Amino acid sequence: MRRTISFFLNGSEVNVTLKDHMRLIDCLRETLNLTGTKEGCGEGECGACTVLVDGQAVNSCLYPAPEAEGKNVLTIEGLQGSENRLSFIQKAFVELGAIQCGFCTPGMILATKALLDSNPDPSDQDIRAALQGNLCRCTGYVQIVEAVKQAAENMRGPE
Amino acid sequence: MSRFSYHKPKTIDDALQLKNEKRGAVYIAGGTDVIVQIKNQELRPSALISLRNIPGLAHIEVNGGARIGALATISDIIQHPTLAQAFPLLMEAARRIGSVQIRNVATIGGNLCNCSPCADMALPLLVLEAKVRLRTSETTREVPVEDFFKGPGESCLLSDEIMTDILLDAPDVNTIAVFMKKGRVKMDLAVASVAVLLDMEGDLCRKAHIAAGSVAPVPRRLREVEEKLEGTILSEQTISEAQKIAKSSVVPITDIRSTEDYRREIVGVFVKRSLERALEWSHK
Ligand SMILES: Cc1cc2nc3c(=O)[nH]c(=O)nc-3n(C[C@H](O)[C@H](O)[C@H](O)COP(=O)(O)OP(=O)(O)OC[C@H]3O[C@@H](n4cnc5c(N)ncnc54)[C@H](O)[C@@H]3O)c2cc1C
Ligand code: FES
Ligand code: FES
Repeated sequence: MRRTISFFLNGSEVNVTLKDHMRLIDCLRETLNLTGTKEGCGEGECGACTVLVDGQAVNSCLYPAPEAEGKNVLTIEGLQGSENRLSFIQKAFVELGAIQCGFCTPGMILATKALLDSNPDPSDQDIRAALQGNLCRCTGYVQIVEAVKQAAENMRGPE
Repeated sequence: MSRFSYHKPKTIDDALQLKNEKRGAVYIAGGTDVIVQIKNQELRPSALISLRNIPGLAHIEVNGGARIGALATISDIIQHPTLAQAFPLLMEAARRIGSVQIRNVATIGGNLCNCSPCADMALPLLVLEAKVRLRTSETTREVPVEDFFKGPGESCLLSDEIMTDILLDAPDVNTIAVFMKKGRVKMDLAVASVAVLLDMEGDLCRKAHIAAGSVAPVPRRLREVEEKLEGTILSEQTISEAQKIAKSSVVPITDIRSTEDYRREIVGVFVKRSLERALEWSHK
């Protein structure tokens, strides 16, 4: 079955026609050509596909696309600072070497955004707990935790 | 992904009707079990009937006891302002489930209805002697969680029946609660887990409720251990006896996550550590 749904994607309303069995990640990557969201495991284990739905981090590989109707979806493409610059989280990840191959990065950054939106001053432990569902095969996580702390500082202080 | 139609009923009655009309239809809540099962071709539904858009099914109400809507997510449970205070065990178990991303969509009802031997929310509900409310178009019934599980992947749910609520009586004031879980890595399904609820008077154990997961076809109470403990003074010796009984009374399996022997060992150790911790607390 096909259906047309509308939802808010990165701040703007979109109308998409999709097949009933599509997952949100299929709708984003294949229907809307937003390939910033990555698919790793496809079963909720790796977090590469993380997006925010109504501000909450979810795995888009487990999220039925028809459920996005009327929701607010944020993907990595929607995360920009002013004047098309990198957002403060992205900047911190670049500056602290928290990105190597980059495959986990969009998911890491969105999971970080969800964390900082609810907890602007997270401890190391809070950061590790919030990113437990995001695997990285390259960095060893130390730089990522540092980057999240830096991002939190940037967010609290003047950008 | 196999093909299926997707339905978003707005009332329980519409959901029940769809389930009866569509052969091969399956209910979906958070989908964290269903979607994975479809991907792995363990499940090939012709239709998914979503319970997510039915108003009120995710509601949590605390008034001495509690009524938790089956569609409440694990995050809803963790973030509820008063639930954790009344039922700290629920909170302990909820916090150990999956990752943030999983907890934000996974529901307590889905955790129970999926009927995995390692369903983490089952353990606090078993020791708290919770009931689940089940509805068809004609009937509503309340079933103790203990009688809900029939086997791996099998419950007492009728084919169209929907779980609407989880019901908890007001907790006893003097109980001590401990939850322990071992996964291979932190966000993993349990290799084994244990929940313990004790009513202590000094070192005397007046009442003991102990449940274990991943060590039998369904999450279940360890009655033999409970009987051994009730009415006895907790000491190094009684705790070590309880550990032995726990080890010998469970029937775990070997699978990709762990071995039978290791699970047996872990359950014994968890029972021992929980009792030791309870004893420590009762002295405070
Ligand atoms: C990466 C990952 C990590 C996980 N970690 C854990 C963990 O640590 N501990 C743990 O216990 N589980 C874990 N799980 C399993 C899963 O997330 C939980 O069992 C979850 O609570 C299931 O809820 P759901 O709403 O997603 O269920 P769904 O997948 O939507 O449904 C599960 C089953 O229940 C049925 N169902 C759901 N709701 C109802 C209802 N109200 N009435 C009737 N039938 C219903 C569905 O038809 C289906 O058969 C994990 C899963 C993943 C993918
Ligand atoms: S692709 Fe979704 S969690 Fe791995
Ligand atoms: S940077 Fe390569 S997986 Fe994280």
